[in-house]
Amino acid sequence: MKKIILMICLSIFINEIKAQSQQGNMLIKNGTVLTVTKGTLEATDVLVRNGKIAQIGKNISAPSGFSVVDATGMFVMPGIIDAHSHAGIDAINEATSPVTSEVFTGDAINPFQMSLYRALAGGVTTIHAMHGSANAIGGQCETLKLRYGVKDPEQLRMEGAPRTIKFALGENPTRVHGGSGIVPRTRMGVEFVIRQAFSQAKEYMTQWDNYNKQKQQKGFRGMPPAYNARLETLAEILKGNIWIHCHSYRADELQMLLKVCKDFGIKKIVFQHVNEGFKVAPELAAYGAMASVFSDWWAYKLEVYYSTAYNAAILTKNGVVTSINSDDAELMRHLYHEAAKTQKYGALTDEEALSLITINPAKQLGIDNRVGSIEVGKEADIAIFNNHPLSIYTVPMMTIVDGVVRFDREKDPADMRIYVDPKQDLDAVSLQEDYQVDRCMEGAEFMFENIFGANLEE
Amino acid sequence: MVLFTMLFAGFAEAQFQQSQPEPKELSPVSRTYAITNATIFQAPGRKIDRGTIVLKDGLITSVGKNVSIPPDAIVIKGDSLHIYAGFIDGLSHAGVTKPKDESNRERPKDPGNPSPEIAGITPYQDVRTSLNPTDKSVEDLRAAGFTVTQVIPYGGMLPGTGAIISLTGKTADEMILAGKSVFYSELAPAQRVYPSTVIGVMAKWREMYRQATLAKNYETLYASNKAGLNRPASDRSLEAFYPVIDKKLPVLFEADKYLDIQRVLALQADFGFSVIVGDVKEGWDAIDKLKAAGAKVFLSLELPEEKKDKKDDKNPPKKEEPKKDDSAKADPEKEALEKRKAESIKQYIGQAATFKKAGIPFGFSTLTVKTSDIQSNLRKMIASGLTEDDALAALTTSPAQLLGLSDRLGSVDQGKIANLVISDKPYFNEKAKVRYVFVDGLMYKYDPKEQPKTDVPAGINITGTWTVTTQTAAQKQEEKVTFTKEGNTYSGSITGAGMSQAVALEGIELTGNKLKYSYTTQAEGQSLKVNVEATIAGNTFKGTSSAGSSTSFSIEGKKDPKR
Repeated sequence: MKKIILMICLSIFINEIKAQSQQGNMLIKNGTVLTVTKGTLEATDVLVRNGKIAQIGKNISAPSGFSVVDATGMFVMPGIIDAHSHAGIDAINEATSPVTSEVFTGDAINPFQMSLYRALAGGVTTIHAMHGSANAIGGQCETLKLRYGVKDPEQLRMEGAPRTIKFALGENPTRVHGGSGIVPRTRMGVEFVIRQAFSQAKEYMTQWDNYNKQKQQKGFRGMPPAYNARLETLAEILKGNIWIHCHSYRADELQMLLKVCKDFGIKKIVFQHVNEGFKVAPELAAYGAMASVFSDWWAYKLEVYYSTAYNAAILTKNGVVTSINSDDAELMRHLYHEAAKTQKYGALTDEEALSLITINPAKQLGIDNRVGSIEVGKEADIAIFNNHPLSIYTVPMMTIVDGVVRFDREKDPADMRIYVDPKQDLDAVSLQEDYQVDRCMEGAEFMFENIFGANLEE
Repeated sequence: MVLFTMLFAGFAEAQFQQSQPEPKELSPVSRTYAITNATIFQAPGRKIDRGTIVLKDGLITSVGKNVSIPPDAIVIKGDSLHIYAGFIDGLSHAGVTKPKDESNRERPKDPGNPSPEIAGITPYQDVRTSLNPTDKSVEDLRAAGFTVTQVIPYGGMLPGTGAIISLTGKTADEMILAGKSVFYSELAPAQRVYPSTVIGVMAKWREMYRQATLAKNYETLYASNKAGLNRPASDRSLEAFYPVIDKKLPVLFEADKYLDIQRVLALQADFGFSVIVGDVKEGWDAIDKLKAAGAKVFLSLELPEEKKDKKDDKNPPKKEEPKKDDSAKADPEKEALEKRKAESIKQYIGQAATFKKAGIPFGFSTLTVKTSDIQSNLRKMIASGLTEDDALAALTTSPAQLLGLSDRLGSVDQGKIANLVISDKPYFNEKAKVRYVFVDGLMYKYDPKEQPKTDVPAGINITGTWTVTTQTAAQKQEEKVTFTKEGNTYSGSITGAGMSQAVALEGIELTGNKLKYSYTTQAEGQSLKVNVEATIAGNTFKGTSSAGSSTSFSIEGKKDPKR
């Protein structure tokens, strides 16, 4: 009995530790509120209670104990969401095998990376911390809330966000694996690897379902099927519990994966990069596939030559849920500029352009019921700009996550590091931390030695 | 070439000898010792002034003020000596032979499916099979006052089981206090094969634990009635998990950094095994979680170095300087960064005191610390809030308890194993030197005169030719080493038996009386880099020579008279 009480006490204690992530109260006064989903509201107040948006309206008075942010003359928008990032994690590519669905970037969360704070300084509040693109089926990804300042990695997780996994088509997986006589060496091989993996997972599911059924019978004696974490995860994709986010460029391979998904009954699919998405936009829309693209970045390798800055606009106009992502710690700091480019290339409306970095990526991560717009009941993830966020002159002033100010241009100290490495030289503090051209391939370099030399500059 | 072939043959022979019967030596004259009239710290808070200890056949037979001395006792007059229970170390590689560095080997054809050994998955290994009692690390740790350590095998994510050993004994078996004491793990990725990342390691860990649980349950079912059932597959790696699943064997993780601790505790939370977190360097923010997980803790004795010129900062000249030198003052950003770094270092040094305040019992581990830093690091911890009693507890009673050895070790009491550290001043005193260490009742004596002061660089002149003797377990080998000096740089060469021509020395460094050099030679078609570190006293030096990472030998040098 004593033991049981102790266990209960312990579990309460653990839960408390888990639930510590702060939720704030505040009143944001008199700003121009860009709700994204419910229009633009001039001179409007937003009341935040316990980390959630409690009220939106005029002349709201602050309950006692609530901090007040004067947003007069400023623009208040939902926190920016980056559907493709590799920040906040210590490991990106388990590049040793063409299928690594069992690994999970959420096991390597690093809340101390300065790039997280810099992203906040660009109005970003949620990121999709993805596995890299070395494998046809990569690892599971984690959706993080940028509660920069917390130390416990658990507190960076966006609890309850759907599980996601990284897939990759084309040059990256074929270059990493194909050279040493391992499938895939070609695009055909990539399709084969994915189909084979799903087929094995189906078999695996059947085996376990049968075993579990038999186990119900009285007096059953038998050997359980071999447990396999890789197939276990793939089975969860087939069951619809994990969403695919697939690194992809060419129209033919987009079509290929749509077909594979159709054959295996998979509905939740988001294409990442999708530089040729504009060629197959109606097909993507018809399937319900979504697309997360760069605004105007291409030609960094052969399969990315055929591209256009109109991609996001064409996809949007064809009814594809589209977002603009960074895939990069530096680009992540000005996603509002990236979104604004769609007004030059494609003449999207303010709301359409802002949707690309707020409600649409929220939809792609399955969290649009919680974040991505300023609506009563949603989590208070808010970015405040001194000009319209799509203006070239805009400067992010304050970023709020769960009602807690995590970035304040006026008040934050110069040195925002949480842990200071006692061995690091002072001048080793660099502006471009971990900066690389293609973070997607980070950690995969050693796989190239025998084939192409260690050249990853693309 | 021959020289090295012989050296390594010698080493192999030394290991072989361990399994041979006792060499024909006479027994010691007596295994009874009496240390009289000494200050005895029996345990934290229990002190006897001018007391006597009698040790007999490896055990403490009496401690106290009025103790009669047996006639056969070897008497040590302890008038100015301070006696403590032998120190206990929670985690080290002392005496463990390091396997050959295989990072240069060819990558397997299918890096996704490496053999378990290449993947670092060898939980069935037992550190007892790679113990070498003559390894220098045993001697070094003992000279620092340690008598018992928990050793763990080298390897990747699952290197094998550890053992608790006495730092004495002629054979590996003689050293063992407890075999299979822990199931050892590191969140260490494999080199260029699966699992090559920490996320791969975590996934593999979980998969193996779940597989082992299923396999174990099935084995139980099979054992109950074999008829009509397929025979269970045998898997050494999964079987190694069984006692962990039963909570009969704790999992010891090396986790020095805060995030490593968090990751270890995430695994622990998934499965609920008993966990020990070892060589913790950055654990203060994880205290609540460690408590909640019921984790046992060994804090690292390694500390980050404080900036050397900080001492200069404290000196009066600094206050005058800014007046003259505006550029130094005009960088407030740099000053602020310096300040944060200094604060950070303080947290590391204050870690032990922080744990003490939080009420977590802890021991220390020496895994990564230089043994020569141990005493000064302990003093730093004491200066930042740990009491001397706390420090002593963390070296003696606490680790004894954490390792389940309190009935045998940890205090100076009648009936306990005769493990003692004896220093000429109170151990935590700056000038204290260890004079005797007793392990299992065997005496190791340290003569302070043998350790020349480090601050006498004057009069040291290495130029000339030296005869250097390398002592392996089996034999002695001689080489001639010549140093020349031009300006402030040294150069030199080495010749010896089997070397067809002189080999140039590299990286010659002389700091104070510490000499370092290295050279590359050929042995059995492989090139070997040999590193030498020695301490000079007049025309002689003593030190170690190590080749690759496999082993090290003691060497002695004697300067040849000028011709």
